[in-house]
Amino acid sequence: MSLTSALSIAQTALFNTSRQTSVVSRNVSEASNPDYAHRSALLSSMAPGARVVQIRRAADEVLFRQNLFAISAWQGQKAMSGGLDTMRLTVNGVEDANAPATAISKLQEALQLYAATPSNATLAESAVQAAHQVVRSLNDGAGAVQNFRADADRDIATAVDDLNHLLGEFETVNTEIVNGTRSGRDVSDALDRRDALLKKISEYVAISTTTRSGNDMVIVTADGATLFETIPRPVTFTPNTSYGPGTTGNSVYVDGVPLVPGAGGNTSAKGSIAAALQLRDETALQMQRQLDEVARGLITAFAETDPSGTLPDMAGLFSWAGGPGIPPAGTLIDGLAGAIRVNAAFDKSAGGDPSLLRDGGANGAAYLHNTTGAASYSDLLLSYSERLDEPMAFDPLTGLDTNRSVTAFSFDSVGWLEATRKQAASGAEGKEALAVRTATALSNATGVNVDNEMALLLDLENAYEASARLISVIDEMLSTLMQATR
Amino acid sequence: MKTSFISSLAMSQTLRYQTMRMQAELAESLKESQTGRYADVGTALGAHAGRNLSMNRNIDRLNGLVDANAIAANRLTATQDAMTQLGDIGQSLLASLTAAKSDIDQVAVSRAEAERVLKTMTGILNSNLNGEYLFAGINTDVKPVTDFQDPASPAKTAFDAAFMAKFGFSQDDPAAASISAADMDDFLTNYVEPQFIGAGWETNWSSASDQKITSRITMNETAETSLTANEAGIRKLAMVAATVSDLLNGPLSEEAREVLYDKSLTLVGEAVADIANAQAQAGIVENRVSEASERLSSQVDLFKSLIKDSEGIDPYEAATRVNDLRAQLDASYALTARLQQLSILNYLR
Repeated sequence: MSLTSALSIAQTALFNTSRQTSVVSRNVSEASNPDYAHRSALLSSMAPGARVVQIRRAADEVLFRQNLFAISAWQGQKAMSGGLDTMRLTVNGVEDANAPATAISKLQEALQLYAATPSNATLAESAVQAAHQVVRSLNDGAGAVQNFRADADRDIATAVDDLNHLLGEFETVNTEIVNGTRSGRDVSDALDRRDALLKKISEYVAISTTTRSGNDMVIVTADGATLFETIPRPVTFTPNTSYGPGTTGNSVYVDGVPLVPGAGGNTSAKGSIAAALQLRDETALQMQRQLDEVARGLITAFAETDPSGTLPDMAGLFSWAGGPGIPPAGTLIDGLAGAIRVNAAFDKSAGGDPSLLRDGGANGAAYLHNTTGAASYSDLLLSYSERLDEPMAFDPLTGLDTNRSVTAFSFDSVGWLEATRKQAASGAEGKEALAVRTATALSNATGVNVDNEMALLLDLENAYEASARLISVIDEMLSTLMQATR
Repeated sequence: MKTSFISSLAMSQTLRYQTMRMQAELAESLKESQTGRYADVGTALGAHAGRNLSMNRNIDRLNGLVDANAIAANRLTATQDAMTQLGDIGQSLLASLTAAKSDIDQVAVSRAEAERVLKTMTGILNSNLNGEYLFAGINTDVKPVTDFQDPASPAKTAFDAAFMAKFGFSQDDPAAASISAADMDDFLTNYVEPQFIGAGWETNWSSASDQKITSRITMNETAETSLTANEAGIRKLAMVAATVSDLLNGPLSEEAREVLYDKSLTLVGEAVADIANAQAQAGIVENRVSEASERLSSQVDLFKSLIKDSEGIDPYEAATRVNDLRAQLDASYALTARLQQLSILNYLR
């Protein structure tokens, strides 16, 4: 009787060892899968002999939550830094070569050169060409900003689609887990998939999770909107196909609650959607306003004045849609940077006369400064140069100093963008390190160590050998018994 | 039971991440050691990037001003040269008139000298630099003085008309011999002088503007960098040369000539002094321009060094960093290879 029981224990041991070996081999095969959590076969002793009771999946809630948070923060910052780099390149160009600030100071140089030899018509022409360059820089910059906003809008639309798709997958996996847990099945693989989905979701939006009875999971965004409870909640967004200076982008709604955009260069945005919203609605808009104000400053600085001081100032070298008057002082006009033009009266290719820059009078004889028509009259040219450096009022909506000269204001705009980039760069460094660090910590807590598994395999090999040996010994003993009874 | 645990994935990922970071840093350090400035100046300076761009642009503007100053300096040098010549011919006219006055009255010689002075003077005043008339004020596209010797010139016509108005006959009329000293004095003071010293100069003689060329010589300083043909010395010299050369053509009496010589001597003397005065003023401006250029150059140097201070890096430090990073990367590669080989699998037979 006891021999039979020994044989049965040895058989169970063999079965247990192969079960454990299969877990080990699964662990080894998934060693390089970052979403795989280490499994271990837990043995519990029961008469007769040991039985495998359950397969335990390594998990660390705290580390996992930290990792999700770090992923959101890092993705948000990454989107922000990338967006700022793109904006700098498209608006200001490599080494600020296309920045309005650069173009304006080149115009100032051209004016200076023209003022040194006012009789030279070629220099007049080249000053007007420099003005064309300024206009191009502002027009292109304004266009680039709107394209940038449209791109951000498209990114948001794609992200929202992805997010809805991920939530759909999440529902399937979650249902599988809930049903499996209820029926006592091993749901480890589904749990792995669910964790992987959570990591992907947190790339788009910051989330926090709570697990209810039966392993059912509820996802809430960091803003407090429910993203998933039993069924996925709708994430809605209406994209705008084209952006103009006055276009306001639509919000992203999670279960009817608008998603809060990030703020600052070292952005508070968690997840790429909040960062894209911030880029579209705040950063790009700010840039647009600064360009608009630079344009307004230029129109004002180059306005033609009545030498007798009675008539109002009129648009000179630079004109705009609301010309020939000049825009009201100190107030932002949306889209001015895209609408600023070189006044046709100065433009040789449009039949104008560049020497009006020296003489004045583009708005009629009352505005003529060089009344004698002297070829080397430089006073007006010198005054334009001076006015570019004289402080004027700018709209506080631009977020820059309001009492600056046009040139200083345009340089401030470059400084503003670079300051934001600097904050973003320093934020990115920290957030990337945190994401890597938490991923490492999580992997250390829940990942697989191949060496460890191999050592375990050696143990199992020995156990298997011992069990097999036991069976053969029992077999010998039984056959000895049989022979004795023959 | 595991006390300290590391997953295989974390081990290889950490190595990979570190290596990647070092490679990125190496690329940056390489760029820095080659260019001598931050790899990304914008993120290194932040809000100060605008200031640096402004300084960079200012350097170009200042250099432009230095070039413009060279043009102004050229003009001033040419002006000085011309004024010296005017002073010289003034002196020689003075000498010739003094000789005429003293006793040996060689009418022909004096007249020839005055004519030479007038010709040279017209030539000098109409001299041209880079397509601009030097003495035209800001009216640089119009020839400043007309040729008095051309009978059709407004200057000559006006002079003849004045003579006719005063005496009722022309200069070469035999009646001219009867002009009294008092009449001559009246003619010179009340008829001729207004044509030169007064408003007549600008209607009959000169197309130059009184306004001189204004140049910006530093960012916030302007200077008048030319002289015009309307300078007092030039008017006086022209008056003497014109009257002497023209009136001596006629049969003037000795007493009338005496008056003419007296008046002319005073005026030429004044003219020479006035010309010297104008030269001194031009010299002051010349000096200002050259000082301005020096100041601009030193400003450019200052901006350059400020830019270098803020966005430059120590090239030795960058080079050392590159070397360190290379050594670290070497070690990291070796370690990665070693660690990848380090596996219990190698010992399981």
